[in-house]
Amino acid sequence: MRRKATTTTGVAAIACLAAVGIAACGSSAASTKEGGTATVLMGTAPDFLDPQEGYTTQAAEADWISYTPLLTYAHASGQGGTKLIPGLAQDLPQVSKDGKTYTVTLRKGLVYSDGKAVKASDFPATIERAIKLNWGGKSFFTNYIVGASAYDTGKSSSISGITTDDTTGQITIHLTQPYGAFDNVIAFPAAGLVPASTPKTNLSNNPPPGVGPYMITNVSPNRGWTMVKNPHFASLGIPNIPNGHLDTIKVNITSNTQSEAQQVLEDQADAFDPGDTLPASLLPQIQSKASGRFSRETIPSTFYFFLNTRTAPFNNPKARQAVNYALDRRAFVRLASGFLKPECYFLPDGITGHPTGNCPYGSKDGAPDLAKAQQLVKQAGLEGTPVTVWGQTRAPRKQYVEYYTSVLNKIGFKATPKIISDSVYFPTIGNAKTGAQTGFADWLQDFPNPSDFYLLMNAKSIQPVNNENFSNVNDPHVQSELAKLNAVPATKLDSVKGEWQSLDQYTAKQAYQAVYGSEELPKFLSTRIDFGSAVFHPLYLNDWSTWQLTG
Amino acid sequence: MSTELLPQLARRPASPQDSPRPVAGAGPYTLAFRRLRRDRVSLAFGAVFLVITAMCLAAPLYAHHIAHTGPADNHVTDTVRIGGQTRDVVSPDGLPIGPTWHGRFFLGADQNGRDIAVRLLYGGRNSLEIGFVATAITMILATLTGGVAGYFRGPVDSVLARVLDLIWAFPVVLLGIALGTSLALGGINLGLFTLSGNSLLVPAVIIGFVYIPYVAKPVRGQVLALREREFVDAARLQGLGTLRILWSEVLPNLASTLIVFVPLMIANAILLEAGLSYLGAGVQPPNPSWGTMIADGIALLPSAIHLTLVPGAMLVLAVLGINVFGDGVRDALDPHSPIRLGH
Repeated sequence: MRRKATTTTGVAAIACLAAVGIAACGSSAASTKEGGTATVLMGTAPDFLDPQEGYTTQAAEADWISYTPLLTYAHASGQGGTKLIPGLAQDLPQVSKDGKTYTVTLRKGLVYSDGKAVKASDFPATIERAIKLNWGGKSFFTNYIVGASAYDTGKSSSISGITTDDTTGQITIHLTQPYGAFDNVIAFPAAGLVPASTPKTNLSNNPPPGVGPYMITNVSPNRGWTMVKNPHFASLGIPNIPNGHLDTIKVNITSNTQSEAQQVLEDQADAFDPGDTLPASLLPQIQSKASGRFSRETIPSTFYFFLNTRTAPFNNPKARQAVNYALDRRAFVRLASGFLKPECYFLPDGITGHPTGNCPYGSKDGAPDLAKAQQLVKQAGLEGTPVTVWGQTRAPRKQYVEYYTSVLNKIGFKATPKIISDSVYFPTIGNAKTGAQTGFADWLQDFPNPSDFYLLMNAKSIQPVNNENFSNVNDPHVQSELAKLNAVPATKLDSVKGEWQSLDQYTAKQAYQAVYGSEELPKFLSTRIDFGSAVFHPLYLNDWSTWQLTG
Repeated sequence: MSTELLPQLARRPASPQDSPRPVAGAGPYTLAFRRLRRDRVSLAFGAVFLVITAMCLAAPLYAHHIAHTGPADNHVTDTVRIGGQTRDVVSPDGLPIGPTWHGRFFLGADQNGRDIAVRLLYGGRNSLEIGFVATAITMILATLTGGVAGYFRGPVDSVLARVLDLIWAFPVVLLGIALGTSLALGGINLGLFTLSGNSLLVPAVIIGFVYIPYVAKPVRGQVLALREREFVDAARLQGLGTLRILWSEVLPNLASTLIVFVPLMIANAILLEAGLSYLGAGVQPPNPSWGTMIADGIALLPSAIHLTLVPGAMLVLAVLGINVFGDGVRDALDPHSPIRLGH
């Protein structure tokens, strides 16, 4: 039933898109009403609510409906939601034949949520802001836009590769090299326009004005915030972006997933954070009492332990291989209450280039080879090496790390877990000064392209703070392959599927990460929200702008 | 006080067995012991605490010889044979096995397939160790601070009293969380004195520190009164130095107060440790403690209530045991004492 509901929604959404536009979509059998308030629960606070800093799913859910970029994604579930549509741009970009120049024109008459006019020159200022604030994906800009790297290093005061004309609204972006997924890069919520005068400081507690159906207000750090309707958005008439049905969306941070799930089950709150795992103890109740408002959503994702190649012991390939041999991926399935599909390759199922062969080390769904792992650790002379394993407090991530620590101890390391608060976890391990040896990491697709996942193994993405390449992979072969493959336009990805598979098999062979699976995400809403019309977006999860209260 | 029983002894009719020697007076501690011996309720609770302590000390024996697993050993994909049947330690849906009432997984397992009984005993060891060490830290530092402040008065007293007021001004739990969270990450590094973030001594030091004013203030008050007493004046006139007076004249007269505080402080330290560990600011994984076990069990509360109930019950019993015993000690040493630990 869950599968049927998802498929139906996806097909309906695509059909609506093709025929009459998404604004007409979302009707369902249940009677619905406009307006009202919904309460969303989140197990973890967003890393940042500032659009040019936020990079977690919790941040993206709020930011993508508050800060519309030049391009954005269709508000649809399933594959339909990965389709790029014009956002603040009139059309999709015109790309030069050499793939190095992108030209877009801003829609006429756009205004921010504070009523001030949107200008083309706000775009380069927005990109500069994301770079200056060390957004975790800033290498998508600095690696490709002419002058962005010089701006990042302070060698220039602006990005020379972006030219704008405020009169015509034309924006031209020059790239240093073709990047096939660059359309997706300018569709990041981090590229969502903010006024050029916005200070280049963290404004998570008082987010700047944007263009989107909702505005982020009343931020109480680590406790919650409120989304209210942007009074100017509906009059802009941007096609295919819903104006939003609810008047207000209250977001509360609830660190206890048990309580979070219980509240949604009992209709005391309206949505469970899809970034959290439903507690095993409540799953039977949810499946029996709330089957009509719960589904498992498959989003391409990779859950793994990073193995820092710059520090001992994981600068030794044998140590990394040992970890991959020793992991019992079946254990993670149980720790995730069954919401995890075991994997050993970095590119997940659903992403072009996902290898289907056997794992190079160990098995993805069989027993681990502990003897081999112990032998490798012994051979490398690494027995007794102290290892600190970094993890988050929320379940089941803490349990993953505790299990992983016990495995490391079994194969000869002297491992101790270091569990820290969810809200500071990624900035902490992404800070070069921390020197994190190994720990939990995960990646949900930013866009359906393998190059998105390979940001995490691209040497050019290594940065001193907010680093996402936690393993600090810097491999010449990977770099040369990425230079070739990243240039392939997204529309021709299938032509290089084999090359991506080879690259992923190569990095698995190098054991740069210890991948253990791909999680299914829960779409779990209260009876107050019309489940059928509520979009579960493949990139930004719960699409609050499509929610309607049931009549 | 030390002669209160003498009139009764004097009135007792002589018997042939009576020693011809003069009847010796009972000391205050002997009297206190006699009163405590008559307080059956306190003794019973003290015995409960002793039994729990003994069980926890025997944790390695239980783990090695009966459960055959350590407190941090994960058995997520393992099976166990119970009554001729093979059962998953953790089900494919993530639900851990309940109590088996056999040697292995006697009280069941947690989400990671760790033996609850083993973790309970090791957790108890950790909780009690922290309780004792924290109490030792509090008692030593509070006696020093309160003693010096009360004896020297003047500017020394003013400075120390303000420092104590400053610590006192913070709610104990909030101060504990703030210190625990920050120190759990980086540990303590004071040159020669270094502790890693996951050392059990970190929560012990934090708890020992935050409770200093609760003992130092009453100690200071007592010393302020004691320093004016004749025997201190006499010692001073005899030419005894300050340290000697504090050690041999003041400290012995503080002893009963300090003894009364010890069990009460242990109870409070164990409770605070459980609270901090529950909130992630106390004992750090993989070390178990009753507080961390309760926190881990909350996620499975409806279907695996034993994960929360068992460590909770142990915590209540241990704290109740030492607290009631402590009250008995206080009543025995000085039935009119106003000493109470307030928050």
